[in-house]
Amino acid sequence: MAALVTVVLPGDEIPRSSLPTPTGKKKTLTLGPGLRHIPPDTITTTIAGALTTDNKKNAIWVDTNSGRYIPAVGDLVIATIQNSVFESFNCLLTPNTPFASLPQLAFEGATRKTRPVLAPHSLVYARVVSNGQHTSPEITCVDPSTGKSEGLGPLKSGMIFNVSLGMARRLLLKSKGEVIVLELIGAKVGFEITVGRNGIVHVDGANVKTILAVGRAIQEVDEQALGEKGQKKLAERVLKSL
Amino acid sequence: MPREVEISIIEREFIQNALQEGIRRDGREFDAFRPLELNFGDEYGVADVQLGKTRVIVRISVDVVAPPPERKFDGVFQIVTEFSPMASPAFEVGRPTDAEVILSRVLEKAIRRSNALDTESLCIIAGLKCFALRADVHIVDHDGGLIDASCIAVMAALQHFRRPDVIVEGEKATVLSTRERDPIPLSILHQPLSVTFSYYEEGNLFLVDADLAEEQVRQGEIIITMNRHGEICQVNKYGGAPVEPLDLLNLNNVALQKVKDISKFIQQKLDEDAKKRDAGGLMAELSAENAR
Amino acid sequence: MHPTTQLSPLHRADGSATYTSNGYTIIGAVNGPIEVQRRDELPTEATLEVNVRPAVGVGSPRERHLETLLHGALRSVVLTESLPRSLVQITLQVSGMPSEEGDCGVSSSLSILPHLLHTALLALLSASIPLSTILTAALVVIPSSSSTPLVSPTANQLLRAKPIRSAHVFAFSGDGSLLMNESDGVFSLQEWDEAVEATEEVCCKEEGGVGLSEGMEVDGREGGSLDTWLREVVRGKVNWEMRWKTAR
Repeated sequence: MAALVTVVLPGDEIPRSSLPTPTGKKKTLTLGPGLRHIPPDTITTTIAGALTTDNKKNAIWVDTNSGRYIPAVGDLVIATIQNSVFESFNCLLTPNTPFASLPQLAFEGATRKTRPVLAPHSLVYARVVSNGQHTSPEITCVDPSTGKSEGLGPLKSGMIFNVSLGMARRLLLKSKGEVIVLELIGAKVGFEITVGRNGIVHVDGANVKTILAVGRAIQEVDEQALGEKGQKKLAERVLKSL
Repeated sequence: MPREVEISIIEREFIQNALQEGIRRDGREFDAFRPLELNFGDEYGVADVQLGKTRVIVRISVDVVAPPPERKFDGVFQIVTEFSPMASPAFEVGRPTDAEVILSRVLEKAIRRSNALDTESLCIIAGLKCFALRADVHIVDHDGGLIDASCIAVMAALQHFRRPDVIVEGEKATVLSTRERDPIPLSILHQPLSVTFSYYEEGNLFLVDADLAEEQVRQGEIIITMNRHGEICQVNKYGGAPVEPLDLLNLNNVALQKVKDISKFIQQKLDEDAKKRDAGGLMAELSAENAR
Repeated sequence: MHPTTQLSPLHRADGSATYTSNGYTIIGAVNGPIEVQRRDELPTEATLEVNVRPAVGVGSPRERHLETLLHGALRSVVLTESLPRSLVQITLQVSGMPSEEGDCGVSSSLSILPHLLHTALLALLSASIPLSTILTAALVVIPSSSSTPLVSPTANQLLRAKPIRSAHVFAFSGDGSLLMNESDGVFSLQEWDEAVEATEEVCCKEEGGVGLSEGMEVDGREGGSLDTWLREVVRGKVNWEMRWKTAR
């Protein structure tokens, strides 16, 4: 497995042979993070990592698990409200970055008369709507097409845990993100997790012990890169302690 | 203005609720330190301390200067702390935060003014020449507990440091390089170490070695510095809720136990390091003999 | 001897690296892209901030000079226009120096420069800041006694080669073009040419280079160029990050 990984450094030119061969309907090539197109037809890398391709989606990107979170449209994030100005809340996605704005009407059922009241330093689960290079990001807690929250909105209790960006992506993968520890624990104890692409996992459960156990289990899988066997062992240990 | 980001409401509530149930976020006991690691550099007087995710590097250096005229028989000893953006983007160069001011003040009181180092031994020729010792404290990674970690690092580095030997002939002093003569250890009178207690619940609940999140939730802190013989060098309480006198006495007992443990740990690491260096010395001597 | 290095040893910073080579130990950290202060804000590109902190004492004009040099070189490497109105903050903490540093006859700001450049680059890679290329650098000195240049000499070698006529630092980009040059002392144009060539050999990948298609690694790692070394470091990082895919 590991031998097949193509390691790239910034400035490497991607040869034509490394580009994905489209198998799906999509004919235009999609360049993901870490790549840039220099017209007419040169593609070079900008970050260090593993070159990854997806033939079905005709996409190519550089996979890495380090650095600061950069908002991308469509990402689910956990944001911290800082203050409220006029018609919107100022939120932080990562510390020491410019604020992301969350309109006060971007909540389910919010109208001009009934606006949500959120205190500074409370958390919301939101989706990134726009992020231009020259504008600050905008996020929303409502699905614009249905007007429903679809699971987005303020997070009320529980606890948050920091994980690596790669781990957050793994947890959000629809197909088995290979984090079976959660299923194993979840079979015995009830809990709820919310994953923000910005490296934050929110865990809520019946009591302090459960929340901590689940949160720490996720962090452990992340830090030690546990495989299936390791996770099974971890799940057993966690369940025993509860 | 860059600022340290404040902790979110649910984190604050969760940490407080958990403490009420007697649980710390990382599963430690209330009176337990995070895992402590101590490494010495290749050079004398460099100590690298890791306390959980907090990391502090201290480097001792020496220079020869004229002593201050009002203290002719003393050497000079200085502890310098400066935060850098490395530990947190909230730290700005040349703009000390409150935490930085408190840290340097506590270190000053705990180590320098408690006479941990015998400054008179740094005198070379009274009124003319003396050693100026300098401890540079570099905060590299910041996850709370800076005072305790810095104190450990400074004391370990001082004990590890060797100053060059000097020959004095009348008014003339010659500093011998380390190649000419083995450098000599500093004369250290006692080893003060700090234990910071963070308190919650109106002073009913005390934590040892709080991490950054726990520090942000606490009502106040009490810093106790003492040596392993139980001699208290300083007690500090910067604001916050009032604390019962009896609690303070109890904290002293806890602190003493911690200081004893850490002193032992530092000594053990120093011994290991000395052994490593000595092994090299012995080997070198043997090979020299063979060459003859 | 290639430098030893560790990527991302620090928890707080977005990217970091420790670096040890020829007696120098440096810790580098990068934060970014983060919010920039109004007065430093640039409308079309990122602001680069470089802080060099000496092992002993607080910064002096020497550090400010080094910061200016590093800023110039790194600005041509970081794709600043892709992160407008933001700040990329690079902090380099020197934590160890060879004890002979003061008396080896080469200006200390020259001898430490390649190491600072490497540390900064590694920390930038660790922080995944977009770069247009990588860079490698080396010190080369020409002693008075001979005309053969010494490339990346240790402090000890410098002591023995004393007196030194001229010292140069060259930095090359990934595709082998000269990014930066600092020279000190008396030298002829021909000597300078030789110095460039000698450094290029150490820094850049071999002709016909190990491009993307490299599946097999060069065995004699010690003999490889700094470019190969850098690739090896990143390979280690990638394998570390991907290990969950293969873990049991």
